Amino acid sequence: MADEAAVDGASPLRAVVEVVVRALVDQPDAVRVTESVRRGMTVLELTTAPGDMGKIIGRQGRTAAAIRTLVAATAERHGQRAQLDIRD
Amino acid sequence: MPLTTDIADFVQKVITAMGLTLTTSVEESPEGTRINLVGDDGGVLIRRGGEALQALQHVVATTFRKQLGEDNRIIIDCNGFRRDKDAEIRQMAKHMAGKARSSGMPQEMGPLNPYERRIVHLAISEEPGASSESIGDAFMKTVIISAQK
Repeated sequence: MADEAAVDGASPLRAVVEVVVRALVDQPDAVRVTESVRRGMTVLELTTAPGDMGKIIGRQGRTAAAIRTLVAATAERHGQRAQLDIRD
Repeated sequence: MPLTTDIADFVQKVITAMGLTLTTSVEESPEGTRINLVGDDGGVLIRRGGEALQALQHVVATTFRKQLGEDNRIIIDCNGFRRDKDAEIRQMAKHMAGKARSSGMPQEMGPLNPYERRIVHLAISEEPGASSESIGDAFMKTVIISAQK
């Protein structure tokens, strides 16, 4: 199963975004998360099916803020700094 | 209830992905179904006023909104953080009710989120001679506690 592989994969940051976002959207198979490092900061780029973008952002951006908080807590746990870019 | 199991499984999946080791247990309470997370890694969820715990709560509520419906509440707690905070809010509400009754002046609670406002209303509904009302805009709401006329 695709999301099981993500959990077992090397990056907890990517795993957190994938697990949470796939649960929130209508089209979990369209969720893509890429990871790169820029000046010591892990940058995660999230893309979803266009129709699912609103679900990820949420009312007044609350869902996006919650995902970012979970990413930040995970990064802190692993001694990293991270940023989540939601691509629309 | 299979839905509760689904939710507990999802919570476990998220915290495992975060790299946290916490024991999950489910408990039915008057406020709703509680999912209790217990363990030394809980600090990650509790620090900064329970910011990450609140984020997890929001993600779970949003993900399962349709299945949960209106009256079915899920509360995620970690090492008793939420329980203690709820007790504090309840105590504060009762204190404010006493002040409203003795002074006759309406008392204002601090900024409260919807879950916290609900705790205040429930606490005040058990207080004789006091009433409560939510006021404020979408960003900053609070509850006013007044002596009942």
